[in-house]
Amino acid sequence: MRYLVRRLGHAFFLLAGASVLAFLFTALAPGTYFDEMRLNPQIAPETVAALRAQYGVDKPLPLRYASWLNSVLHGDMGFSFAYNGPVAPLLVVRARNTLLLTITSTLFAWAIALPLGVWSAERLGRLSDRLLSWGTAVLLVIPDLALALGLLIVAVRSGWFPTGGMASVDFETLSPANKLRDLALHMILPVTALVLSTLPLLVRHVRASVADVLDAPFLLAALGHGIPKRTLLYRYALPAAANPLISLFGFSIGVLLSGSLLIEVVMSWPGLGPLLLEAILARDLYVVIGGMLFSTFFLVGGNLFADMLLYWADPRIRAESNAR
Amino acid sequence: MKVEATATGKNVHPLLKVENLVKRYTKRSLAGTPEELLALDSVSFTISPGTTLAVVGESGSGKSTLANCLACLESPTSGNIWFEGKDIVKLEERACRQVRRQIQLIFQDPASSLNPRWSAFEVLVEPLILQRKFNREEIKKRVNYWLGRVGLSQDIVGRSPMELSGGQRQRLAIARALTLEPKLLILDEALSALDCSVQAQIANLLMELQSSLGMTYLFITHDLAMAAHFADEIAVMDRGRIVEQGPPNKIFIQPEQETTRRLLAAVPRIGRGDQSALER
Amino acid sequence: MRVRRVLTRWLVTLGVLHGIVGFAGFFAPYDPVEQDRKSPYLPPMRFHLIDGQGHFHARPFVYALKLREGSFDRYVENTTEPQPVRFFMKGARYRLLGFLPCRRHLFGLENTRIYLLGTDAYGRDQLSRLLFGGQVSLLAGLLGAGITLSIGLCIGAVAGSFGGWRDSLLMRLAELFMALPWLYVLFAIRAFLPLAVSPLRAFFLIITVIGIVGWARPARLVRGVVLSAKERDFVRAARGFGATHGYLFRRHILPETSSVLLTQAAILIPQYVLAEMTLSFLGLGVPEPVPSWGNLLSSLQQYSVLVSYWWIYLPALAMVPFFLGYLGLASSLQERGAAYKIESRIWGI
Repeated sequence: MRYLVRRLGHAFFLLAGASVLAFLFTALAPGTYFDEMRLNPQIAPETVAALRAQYGVDKPLPLRYASWLNSVLHGDMGFSFAYNGPVAPLLVVRARNTLLLTITSTLFAWAIALPLGVWSAERLGRLSDRLLSWGTAVLLVIPDLALALGLLIVAVRSGWFPTGGMASVDFETLSPANKLRDLALHMILPVTALVLSTLPLLVRHVRASVADVLDAPFLLAALGHGIPKRTLLYRYALPAAANPLISLFGFSIGVLLSGSLLIEVVMSWPGLGPLLLEAILARDLYVVIGGMLFSTFFLVGGNLFADMLLYWADPRIRAESNAR
Repeated sequence: MKVEATATGKNVHPLLKVENLVKRYTKRSLAGTPEELLALDSVSFTISPGTTLAVVGESGSGKSTLANCLACLESPTSGNIWFEGKDIVKLEERACRQVRRQIQLIFQDPASSLNPRWSAFEVLVEPLILQRKFNREEIKKRVNYWLGRVGLSQDIVGRSPMELSGGQRQRLAIARALTLEPKLLILDEALSALDCSVQAQIANLLMELQSSLGMTYLFITHDLAMAAHFADEIAVMDRGRIVEQGPPNKIFIQPEQETTRRLLAAVPRIGRGDQSALER
Repeated sequence: MRVRRVLTRWLVTLGVLHGIVGFAGFFAPYDPVEQDRKSPYLPPMRFHLIDGQGHFHARPFVYALKLREGSFDRYVENTTEPQPVRFFMKGARYRLLGFLPCRRHLFGLENTRIYLLGTDAYGRDQLSRLLFGGQVSLLAGLLGAGITLSIGLCIGAVAGSFGGWRDSLLMRLAELFMALPWLYVLFAIRAFLPLAVSPLRAFFLIITVIGIVGWARPARLVRGVVLSAKERDFVRAARGFGATHGYLFRRHILPETSSVLLTQAAILIPQYVLAEMTLSFLGLGVPEPVPSWGNLLSSLQQYSVLVSYWWIYLPALAMVPFFLGYLGLASSLQERGAAYKIESRIWGI
């Protein structure tokens, strides 16, 4: 239990640190952001003045951070100049879409990588394993950008898949079952791109971790007891490799989140990615910070989940933390 | 068995005098209470020049901490170390470096005390280069001299320490230490990692060097038999304190402490436990 | 020793690849910013050896392209006039390696222009842009990796050498940086820097940004190496000979970090090239008209280009041989590091 509390505290520390960093980035901007805003004819000078006062731009940095943090904790993440409204609702909708994409991709990626990795580790060194290694190497060296664009070209030329967005034009008129089908169709391309880009990394690491475990004497003993191979692999070997694999899981969430940014933009999936890009091009400061914080939040949350998984899966950690 | 004698016979004053040496380690963790470890608990002894003092004890008894403090690599928490009449505990870094020249340390594992990425030559000349007093001619002369003295041939200079045998590496380490012509050599389990026959060779080398150069040794080991073979005086350490001290005869025949008895019991004996085998 | 041979092979491969890009001026037939407004979106020309009449030509040739009847953007080969390819011919001026003025190119045509990879919207030769763009992208990756490794080395060395509160603070900071999703951080930092700058300033801006984001992992690795190296007996022995801390670090500890740094370099460089490509593709990196592998692909964001002009996609694959080379380099470096450890174990170190 204390282990979990410690990890929770650690997660909070990370989030707090990330918020400080995010805020510090605003200090990087040469000249205040609001000077640029003043040059923008679409925003009335009164709005600018009001916002300046509200955000206390002329106050020293620590005070600004404190008031900003205060508003964030109350749900107010700032004002979006491009969308002319509060930032938070904007981010929530997009974040939901990004999560949908990322979680689905994570599940698929692991569902494929685990069996492949175990299968490969079992046949270490043999032809099938080497072929798989070559296959993953090929995937590994193709940049995500090339993969995403390539898939898009395939989609466009074949006409099998919708080429972007999350929903068809007539989405609202569809029945619930068809809505789900429509969503799934739209998700195929981005999910495939994400899964393909992370698969090689995962397969390699799973293979390495399981191969390490397969050397262990206790497995040989179990084999001697007549336990069938499949049970051996999945109920004895895999749990023993749980520790590095769960750490890998946490790491893969970060990789997938970063990857999703690009893929969302390329495939026009309405997630945090395209929003962030627009915000940068439009100099929409608070959206950028909000986006970065949201994604950090997901990453930290994902890692916390991985820590909890580890606690549940690895009896050594439970014992160690209970012994204190 | 060693002949009991001092090499020079002229110096009556001890070369090294350790007085009430205390070394305490405090481990501070981010949470919770600091833990204290008393590595040396008021240790005192003297060594006369040209003789060998063996410090014997089990692992964790504080032997290595003692070696580090004497070689000026760590500072003791309290106490004095008189080397040639001067208290070296009180010295600052620069003076300490001078003293370090005079007291050299030979480590247990020669493989790790010689940088495997360097050649034997670079390893050997390092101390001379660090002293910055010698030109290339001098350095070459000393290197060749000491190589010969420890029984190594010239052609090993180009090789990496990884390519040498355990015995050769330890000879190299000894040669390296001797290039500075130190007065006191601390051998921290220097023979323990070697094969039996090699141990004997190196031990003989050390004894020969002592008799011809008048070297003083502080020989740290966990092996009482080796200490007996080597030393003029044995000090038994247990948990940071010297529990018994005396010439080898006395220790072997009339051990007083439990620790000593334990160490004695660990010595393998040939024959029917005949004590006379030790009294050569 | 087999490892060393494999390592050399990868190094040579990478050297050749980088050499081709480095000498882009020679290998590319034209200047990358030169426009040919009359020939937008030309498809790639093909080499031929046998002409329309069935005659074999010893010297390979291409056909110029002309518009197909009734189309405004479909081309066919003009088979009436074979254009022989000339090698080592004089062409546009360029500076070899940035300073030597030269005029010779590997190949070219006498009368008209050869487009082996087609052209883009402004009629610019894609092959030339690919080669020159490679200079920008690869340089970004190399310099960015250099920055990251320098920062990582300094911080890791300080943390490992001094220990104590400095170590704790720096490692906490490293944990923080590793907890952030790096592409988001990259974007966030880029967001707060001026958008519309000259290509040169943009280039240095993004190298700095890319370089700063990734210091945490190398720093942790260096710290680990420094911590373990500090405790090695040969370091203690050197102290016993009167070595100063500076000497110890320079002569004993620093060389131990070399293998970690090299492996990290082989891993980071392709990642950073990819980061530059991503930024430039999205319009946040190197701006027009300077080519980079990223901004060569930007036009693909338009549906029409994506559908009709497939050759614009090709620069996306340009990275592949480089990635492969760096991957091979990284694994053989890791193998060498492991082999070194095994060797040490055999010798009892």
